[in-house]
Amino acid sequence: MAKPLLQVRHLVKYFPIKKGVFRRTVGWVKAVDDVSFDVYEGETLGLVGESGCGKTTTALTILRLEEPTKGQVIFDGKDITKLKRRDMRKMRKGMQIIFQDPYSSLDPRMKVKDIIAEGMLSHNMLNGHERYKRVGELLERVGIPPKYMDRFPHEFSGGQRQRVGIARALALEPKIIMCDEAVSALDVSIRSQIINLLKDLQNEFKLTYLFIAHDLSVIKYISDRVAVMYLGKIVEIADKKSLFDEPLHPYTQALISAVPVPNPDYKKKRIVLQGDVPSPADPPKGCRFHPRCFKAMDICSNVEPKLVEVKPGHFVACHLYDSKE
Amino acid sequence: MAKEKLLEVKDLKTYFFTEDGVVKAVDGVDFEVYKGETLGLVGESGCGKSVTAFSIMRLLDYPGKTVGGKVIFKGEDLLKKSEEEMRKIRGKEIAMIFQEPMTALNPVFTIGYQISEALKIHLHMNDKEAMEKSVELLKKVGIPIPEQRVHEYPHQLSGGMRQRAMIAMAMSCNPTLLIADEPTTALDVTIQAQILELMKSLLQEFNASLIMITHDLGVIAEIADRVAVMYAGKVVEYTDIRTIFHNPLHPYTFGLLTSIPRLDVELRRLNAIPGFVPDPLHFPKGCKFNPRCRFATDRCREEEPPLVKVEEGHLVRCWHVDRVKEEVKKGLLVGV
Repeated sequence: MAKPLLQVRHLVKYFPIKKGVFRRTVGWVKAVDDVSFDVYEGETLGLVGESGCGKTTTALTILRLEEPTKGQVIFDGKDITKLKRRDMRKMRKGMQIIFQDPYSSLDPRMKVKDIIAEGMLSHNMLNGHERYKRVGELLERVGIPPKYMDRFPHEFSGGQRQRVGIARALALEPKIIMCDEAVSALDVSIRSQIINLLKDLQNEFKLTYLFIAHDLSVIKYISDRVAVMYLGKIVEIADKKSLFDEPLHPYTQALISAVPVPNPDYKKKRIVLQGDVPSPADPPKGCRFHPRCFKAMDICSNVEPKLVEVKPGHFVACHLYDSKE
Repeated sequence: MAKEKLLEVKDLKTYFFTEDGVVKAVDGVDFEVYKGETLGLVGESGCGKSVTAFSIMRLLDYPGKTVGGKVIFKGEDLLKKSEEEMRKIRGKEIAMIFQEPMTALNPVFTIGYQISEALKIHLHMNDKEAMEKSVELLKKVGIPIPEQRVHEYPHQLSGGMRQRAMIAMAMSCNPTLLIADEPTTALDVTIQAQILELMKSLLQEFNASLIMITHDLGVIAEIADRVAVMYAGKVVEYTDIRTIFHNPLHPYTFGLLTSIPRLDVELRRLNAIPGFVPDPLHFPKGCKFNPRCRFATDRCREEEPPLVKVEEGHLVRCWHVDRVKEEVKKGLLVGV
């Protein structure tokens, strides 16, 4: 088996809630609360969950674009949570991110060639002339004619902008790319182009992806393994096949059953969850899912379940599977 | 069983007269909605599906204007009605649900007040009756403790709850036609499932018809009886739900269906449609899909195909239906 490129250990990120004239901290939003997982070299780990579950914060905290409250992130064998800012910047050359919104993630006042070259410049890669030559190659690779490199972001469509964002990430020859809802804002016919492009690039450059999305159909298509998050916690991790064929956590089961399938003859039993996702500022005691869970037991409201391996490679945090330990 | 026609849209044309030129957002759209059925209106951003809905409701703002066609509702052309007559129809006969309930609801009035408003105007209820009815409606759409919620403001409700409140408002005067514009797009998937279930049960209870506007083919498969696929301001394929998914005959529909990742089928590679959605100011000549179409020939680049009947209840706007049919038969597609 491949070795882990990225190891996340007990990662915690709390955001303070400040109130009043003196901005006193009156509480904490527990966005990411003790999250651990590995991403292996060359694989795509899908991170799925509903809005507010902490999946984006997880990615930002791994990159230390948000400082983690606690926990460790080991990238390529090094604990990067202890690095100084300057060393962290160097480290980020190997870990890039593609954002959701192709409109707000590109500086509107910069030419596309400078957007893509900026990272190379700050890492002192290549000289001026060679840099732009490389920009041309990168644009070509992501499917934009290099002659457009002098244009500004507003001259491109949403899909093309996302291609620019991908070229910018590729420019630094990263080992891992975090794709944060990278295809969610795109139209259906454009989305499949970008998904195909990401897959091709992965094969070509041996990239590792942490692919964050709320759309389970996309996650199923692109991932090798999948982690499901709920209210700041990972509730289940498994390889794609066992996760979708035999989901163990009641939340995963409900989530999968809720996805509308584009086939009118596809019959399935739908589990409709009651209520909304609670606030991460005041998560329920015990298992965070218990107030909405259709299989909740007494223990669930008191004791928080641990993420345990119930089958090889299949981890779940649910009291239903306690006895198997 | 003879179906009763509730709404008939004929050659509807809505243009936007902008400084840069005329945008033909809706350019000759035809469809019918029968009593008690759900018609899905599918397409990507800018295809004119929302503008179609706003044209039916006569809610267009400058610079948009409906320049041609007919919208026949219960035998009368809505485009010929005075603004005052229209006001009696909106909310009472035809109601609308929007994508973003936070912007569609008024933030400074309570939920109860906003539901009551329509009840007082259309059904001439007094304050007390209207409030009681509002509580009852909120209960019907599954809002817990409706007696309390009715006095709350939109920001106090979650996204799913707000969409429920919008639905309560839309259903308040027992409309015969409901138009829902991407009602679940902004919601999480577990909440989307709740809202779809709710809409289905309410439609049945009220025997109302629905025009469901969405880009999500999964949602369509779940709720619609018939489907109109739109591309660049025109309907390109129009048929019943099973035919559209199992036997699509327009290259665009075909492309969409094979390009989406899905949970029920293991796909090795997505069959992406090349190119991008055309700019409505510069639509291509001939068939508007031709630059992205792998079936395109010279004829497609010159002459726009009409929407014609290829089978009973199946209309397609394409010169090459036979070639698409062959391709679909090869089973590249659907269901697998």
